[in-house]
Amino acid sequence: MRAVNLIPADQRGGAGAGAGRSGGAVYAVLGLLGVLAVFALLYGQADRQISSRKSQVASLTAQAQQAQARAAALAPYTSFAAMREQRIQAVDALVNSRFDWAHAFHELGRVLPSTVSLTSLNGTVGSTSGTSTSTSASTTSSSKAGASASVASATPPGSMPTFTLAGCTTGQAAVALTLDRLRLIDGVSEVTLQSSTKSGSTDGSGGGSSAGGASNCPVAFNVQIAFDALPTIPATGSVSRTTTATVSATTSAGASTTGAPR
Amino acid sequence: MTGRDRIVVAALAVLAVLAAVWLLAVAPEREKASKLATEVSAAQAQLTSAESQLASASAAQAKYQTAYASIVSLGKAVPADQEVPSLIYQLAQATGQKNVEFASVTSGGAGGTGASTPAAKASAATGASSPAGASATASAGFTQMPFTFVFNGSFESLSSLFHQLDGFALRTTSGGLQVSGRLLTVQSIKLAPATTSGSGKPTEQLSATITATAYVLPAGQGLTGGATSAGPAGTATQTASTGAAGSANAPAVVQVNP
Repeated sequence: MRAVNLIPADQRGGAGAGAGRSGGAVYAVLGLLGVLAVFALLYGQADRQISSRKSQVASLTAQAQQAQARAAALAPYTSFAAMREQRIQAVDALVNSRFDWAHAFHELGRVLPSTVSLTSLNGTVGSTSGTSTSTSASTTSSSKAGASASVASATPPGSMPTFTLAGCTTGQAAVALTLDRLRLIDGVSEVTLQSSTKSGSTDGSGGGSSAGGASNCPVAFNVQIAFDALPTIPATGSVSRTTTATVSATTSAGASTTGAPR
Repeated sequence: MTGRDRIVVAALAVLAVLAAVWLLAVAPEREKASKLATEVSAAQAQLTSAESQLASASAAQAKYQTAYASIVSLGKAVPADQEVPSLIYQLAQATGQKNVEFASVTSGGAGGTGASTPAAKASAATGASSPAGASATASAGFTQMPFTFVFNGSFESLSSLFHQLDGFALRTTSGGLQVSGRLLTVQSIKLAPATTSGSGKPTEQLSATITATAYVLPAGQGLTGGATSAGPAGTATQTASTGAAGSANAPAVVQVNP
């Protein structure tokens, strides 16, 4: 037997996805409304965030302006503290760029043999342009010094202190001993004999010849001592310092010093 | 139009409406919120910076008295003007303590013993009457004032004197800066036997010719920059003078500990 569809042909579409009299439009409307609801939720959230953040920005800006105004009112104190720090660094740089003459003299007196007497001593903190070694050292140190302090020291870091000694001793062996002993001085980099002349010799034109006659100056010598280049200034600018100042009422010009012995 | 076609059209219409709503309303609002979040971060950073500045300024205000005392004390090492009499007084005092004769002082680095004035007192008077007498050399920071001094004494006493001169301004073992007098950097020292005036024979006494440099604050830069003990310039009335640093009678000690 052959099956026959008894539903009229124009009413057979109700069995599809969009069944019903609306033809499925209701689902579309519902979906649209649902998504619109989600959008509205997102919009509301964003709107709340906007108003909240606007007030937050206004509050933070006001606080920042208040703080800036108070800081500006105290700016002279900040400037004064900066000036003080700058001064301390500048003085510190100068103090550290000095050669310790007292220590060098103390060392000289310590190492000189008893048979040696000096007729003259000429100590100089030379320029930074010395030997090749000292030149490179001074270049490095000068650039560092320039970075850390704007003060030009009369004895800039990298300068080579040198002593030129003229003296008398008992013989050439004593001169050799003197050279050896002078190398023991703290901070000496080089000891150079310039001349050593026995009195009475024909070519005796050394600087020590004028110190006395043959009786009290058997051998006159000239020696040059080169010290290590002055150290670079340590970068103290980044170090935070706590300062305590004490103004003493004593009249002593001497300070209790440290380091080099008297 | 069949039912299927109607569904497709309806779906497309819904998607179009949704896209329009998203693009025209929701997305701009969210973008605005996002931008405001950035602004909040920037404002917070600005506030943090301002609070940091304020904290720094408040700390500077709290430590003002200490800083003022320090900077005044530093004026003993590097004064605002040449202060030659004070320098000579300090040297005379130091030489007196070390049994060294302060023979002469000459302004300028090129001067030797021959160009020296006969007595320190005369130079002191010159320095007092003519502050510009010393040949000051301007440098990048402080102004340099070269001098040539001549001292007479034994090797030990001269060595001790040099130590004392260094001690006017020195760095302590703890890393602090101690100032009790004028800062001097010695460039050269020449020792030679001092001859007695009568016989001309060499003695144990030596004559030390020292070329040294003192330093002065740059012109126009006062010792305290216009500040007084009451407060820095512009914040308080000027109640105290800044002349304390010029006195050689009251050595100051600045202890700066790291």
